[in-house]
Amino acid sequence: MRLFTRHAREQEWRDELLSAYLDDQLGEEERARLEAQLAADAALQAELEALRHTVALVRDLPAVPVPRNFILPQTMTAQPRPRRPFRARRSAERSRRSPYGRVWAAPLLTAATAAVSLLFVAVLTGDLLLSGGLAYAPAAERQAEAPRLALEPSPSGRGEAEVEEVIPNATSIPTETPPPLATQAPVEMPPAGAAPTATLLSMPTEAPPRAAPEATAGEENREVATPVVEATMSAAALGRGEGEVTPTPNAVPPVVEEDLAAPTPGEAAEIAPPVVEEEGEWGASEGERTGPTLIWVTPWRMLEITLGLTALGLALATVWAWRARR
Amino acid sequence: MDEASLIAAAQQGKVDAFNELVLVYQQQVYNLAYRILGDPAAAADATQEAFISAFQSIARFRGGSFKSYLMRIVSNGCYDELRRRKRRPATSFEDFGEVDEEANPALVNGGERPEEYAERQEVARVIQAGIEMLSPHQRITLVLSDVQGLSYQEIAEATDVSLGTVKSRLARARGKLRDYLREHGELLPAQYRLE
Repeated sequence: MRLFTRHAREQEWRDELLSAYLDDQLGEEERARLEAQLAADAALQAELEALRHTVALVRDLPAVPVPRNFILPQTMTAQPRPRRPFRARRSAERSRRSPYGRVWAAPLLTAATAAVSLLFVAVLTGDLLLSGGLAYAPAAERQAEAPRLALEPSPSGRGEAEVEEVIPNATSIPTETPPPLATQAPVEMPPAGAAPTATLLSMPTEAPPRAAPEATAGEENREVATPVVEATMSAAALGRGEGEVTPTPNAVPPVVEEDLAAPTPGEAAEIAPPVVEEEGEWGASEGERTGPTLIWVTPWRMLEITLGLTALGLALATVWAWRARR
Repeated sequence: MDEASLIAAAQQGKVDAFNELVLVYQQQVYNLAYRILGDPAAAADATQEAFISAFQSIARFRGGSFKSYLMRIVSNGCYDELRRRKRRPATSFEDFGEVDEEANPALVNGGERPEEYAERQEVARVIQAGIEMLSPHQRITLVLSDVQGLSYQEIAEATDVSLGTVKSRLARARGKLRDYLREHGELLPAQYRLE
């Protein structure tokens, strides 16, 4: 197939040269080169003769007599029609294919298509790598933590992965933290340390914008108080619903801060507060959750979609431009 | 009256003056349309429309070649017609057939023997069929060049494209026509065949 197209292209190129030669439209140098080739190449000479013969046959076409006279009636007005067919057409034609536009359009469009496509691929790769990197690095840390915290692996693990995928651009700290908390809650519920919670309680209110991931943590915590199955469900729901507000498990009664906050080493403590803060206002927290994610995710996606569509449009225009040249 | 005066008079709205120009150019205009469109009725319509359009817009004609001005208008009209046909191919070319030139004694060359004449008509029929295989742009370019004898520059102006485009369209048109004549060599009298 490629051989065929290459052959066809060579043939076109040769025809163009021979055709211009027949009309004496080649430059001095080009003509000398072609004549040297013709002298050495009998096949090329035959091609030239076939083309010359074809042109001669067309030139010898007999003139066809007019079937009648085409004179205009005396009543014809010289006033141009309001639409100005000739000029209007001319300008339309020109705008559609200006002499220079036509020649340069196709190669230019080809270059533009290539550039935009490359950019698109680069952005897409970058996006994938970035989100991948964010997801993996914290995961490793968490694994290290895991034994220490003695968590239930299954629900938390799933929750983490999904949360992070969804919010690639969020800072690593919040994303990292929630899952451990969730898992940890059930284990350490009994102790319910009062002191750390109290101090941390204020934090979330101070920094509402970052609430998104923390809020999720809170939900999980609450659910953990109830059977473990629910916790997993909520984790899944979280991951899925991050773009939009997922119906939150209202069934779970707002648990008291104590159980959640109680735990643990430093990081866990950090996470705990959001949970506490949240139970008061379910609706608000949900709203916050959707907010930040939208802001972070859409520009990337929008850029990718825009680039993709642009590349597609340019590709179509390129095909059109090359065809128009024929 | 020379051409410039006729044009000037036509620009003043004098239909008589314009009709003198019509009589001068109608043969060329009709032939151009006929070779591009391939049927007499459509060619006659295109010719008439072209002259009407040329007259109505003649006020905006500012010097240059009047022939090119006309050729441009006819080419545009034929191009539109070809596009229209492509959109809704109502009539096949077979419905029209060739002009019955035999019925017109003025066409028969004085010294030409009947069989020679028939042969020439046969060749013309094959060439015309080959031309109708070409794309609209290629057809128009080929006819302007090899039937009407316009230069590359004139064709570029008439069709609103660059010289390079004229060059490549013409080469493609000729190449395709050559291939067509090779494939249909048996339709041509022996001395007209390629290779």
